[in-house]
Amino acid sequence: MNSFSALIPLLIIVFASLCIMILEAFLKKENKDYLAYISIIFLVVCGFFLVRAWNKDFSYFNGNLFLDNLSLFFSFIFLITTFLVILISMKYISLQGVNCGEYYSLLLLALSGMLIMVSSGDLLVIFLGLEVLSISSYSLAGLRRKDEKSSEAAIKYFLLGCFASAFLVYGIALLYGATYSTDIASIINHFQSGESLGLMALIGLGMFVIGFGFKIAVVPFHMWTPDVYEGAPTPITAFFSVGPKAVGFAVLLRVLYPYLKNVQDSSKAIFLLLCIISVLTMVVGNLIALRQTNLKRILAYSSIAHAGYLLIAILAQDNASLVFYLTVYIFMNIGAFAAVIALGKKDKEYLELEDYAGIGFKYPWIGATFSVFLLSLAGFPPTGGFLAKFYVFSAAVRQDLVPLVIIGVLASLISVFYYLRIIVYMYMKEPSYEVDINIDNPGLFLVLFLCLYGVLQLGIFPGNVLILIKQAVTALL
Amino acid sequence: MIELFLVFVIFGFLGVLLVVMNKLLGPKRSNPTKESPFECGSPYLQDGINPFPLKYSLVAFLFLLFDIEVVFFFPWALVFKEIGITALIVMFAYIFILLIGFIYAWKKGAFQWER
Amino acid sequence: MIPLSYFLILSAVLFVLGAVAFFVKRDLITMFMAVEVMLNAANLAFITFAKSASSIDGQIIVFFIVTVAAAEAAVGLAIILLIFRQKKTIKSEDINLMKG
Repeated sequence: MNSFSALIPLLIIVFASLCIMILEAFLKKENKDYLAYISIIFLVVCGFFLVRAWNKDFSYFNGNLFLDNLSLFFSFIFLITTFLVILISMKYISLQGVNCGEYYSLLLLALSGMLIMVSSGDLLVIFLGLEVLSISSYSLAGLRRKDEKSSEAAIKYFLLGCFASAFLVYGIALLYGATYSTDIASIINHFQSGESLGLMALIGLGMFVIGFGFKIAVVPFHMWTPDVYEGAPTPITAFFSVGPKAVGFAVLLRVLYPYLKNVQDSSKAIFLLLCIISVLTMVVGNLIALRQTNLKRILAYSSIAHAGYLLIAILAQDNASLVFYLTVYIFMNIGAFAAVIALGKKDKEYLELEDYAGIGFKYPWIGATFSVFLLSLAGFPPTGGFLAKFYVFSAAVRQDLVPLVIIGVLASLISVFYYLRIIVYMYMKEPSYEVDINIDNPGLFLVLFLCLYGVLQLGIFPGNVLILIKQAVTALL
Repeated sequence: MIELFLVFVIFGFLGVLLVVMNKLLGPKRSNPTKESPFECGSPYLQDGINPFPLKYSLVAFLFLLFDIEVVFFFPWALVFKEIGITALIVMFAYIFILLIGFIYAWKKGAFQWER
Repeated sequence: MIPLSYFLILSAVLFVLGAVAFFVKRDLITMFMAVEVMLNAANLAFITFAKSASSIDGQIIVFFIVTVAAAEAAVGLAIILLIFRQKKTIKSEDINLMKG
């Protein structure tokens, strides 16, 4: 249905971002805390409009922007992500000296980019959304201007991100040359009608996948990930580890699911490419994570490894399990980063593994919730992480991808080791020095609680969410 | 005769290949002596390229942005008559966003020469 | 009349040159310029395809890519300037606080 309502959520977020930017320029220094509350209010209003559009299939701009159930579901989880990130940032940015209003403005701009990406079926619009997301991400990574690590993260993210965008654009150009269209549906239609895929189309699709491979950080396109994650301000790292990754998978789902399902490609080149990337990602990500001692780097490599499991879901063509995995992943990863942020005080963050010795007894709440998130990331029942992995692997077995599943299970066995090592440090090591943290941080504890609730709810009673996801993925059929 | 020619081709190619590969793959370690314009003789007094203050770098970045964003006005002007009032509203929204960016930069002091 | 395939070959060559220069060069500005070359190779491909299909879409897409490149340039140069103020160098091997 063609209706202006399809544009409203996006307009609200962009307007909120502009509003905060202007307020930032005109507000006094001591009133800047309000900007967080203003952005949260806008997020809630936007969420309200998204919920009301469920099952309505609004579209606008001649169908170039649409809100089907899948884009609504993804938009909603991105909204939740940004909400959680803003909550954990409120204290952090004043403690770590990033206290500027542009922080929230850029965060909302990045969110608007993600909303554009999930609610369009046109490759050009997806690219523009990606650039809105990326350019605000580059500046977010470098926001701690006094810190050399932060600028280093920004420049690395910027250069590799631009490089990936160039690949993506060239891929889109080749696809446009092969089919004379940038619309996903007509590209797939064109492929279906042809006898065999032309070399140009195949290369174009491959470059498209590679370009997105950089964004979702799969091996061998992951080089920037650990450095950027380590250097960026920690709440932004939490955002990077879930936001761009989830949106990348949402787009890959829209492009690759109809492709793998409908197009008869005798050479299976794209399928093989994805298989190789997936195996490499799972194995290399988990193996390198074993030797890391910095918490942010461990979580970075763990997020790389998770991209591998998610690729299995794409290869198995099981959309529901992919969306469920992403939903769980958002809660457990943001929760884990929130626990890392909790260990900090003015101008000091505790990020080394040694700092975590004895934390479990000294700060029981942080220790307990962090352990739950780590167990969920490792895939232990009764957490959401277990169910998510279970669904993905069983879907892959149904599609005769047994070798991939075996590698996936072995890789997650490796991952158990480094996740448990953090828990062992927290509960079984004697602290050799005093770690003193700022405990007065209500927003952060709210996030820890919400993520704990999310992980356990999705692990024990996933029924309601699964029904929503089933409704959402019908949009792809 | 042809063997001699082949020898020239193969070894010529090999030579070029090795030089190129060395250039591409070899490590590039630089030290102050290597960087200097003359390795011997009297020490030079100052750099050939003097650093100069980039007071207007911010203005340059902003100019780059606003200059390029105006590119959308041209296709808009071409189709304006066909689309009508919608085109006007859309363009005003676009200018509004640019204007907010401009106000932000102004208020933040990006246009002040001396700081 | 130059055949259209020549333009495509030129765009492919430009793209590969940009990609190689990105990995070979050790200067942040040059690396960034290499990326711009790659983007413009894509622009050339878009225009060629638009011409061969006599459709206007490809030319409009170029407008968008050019503006995106400008936005990237503004942010990127600002970041490079920030790096230069901190370290007094823009060689990529000097940016090594974190090992990847």
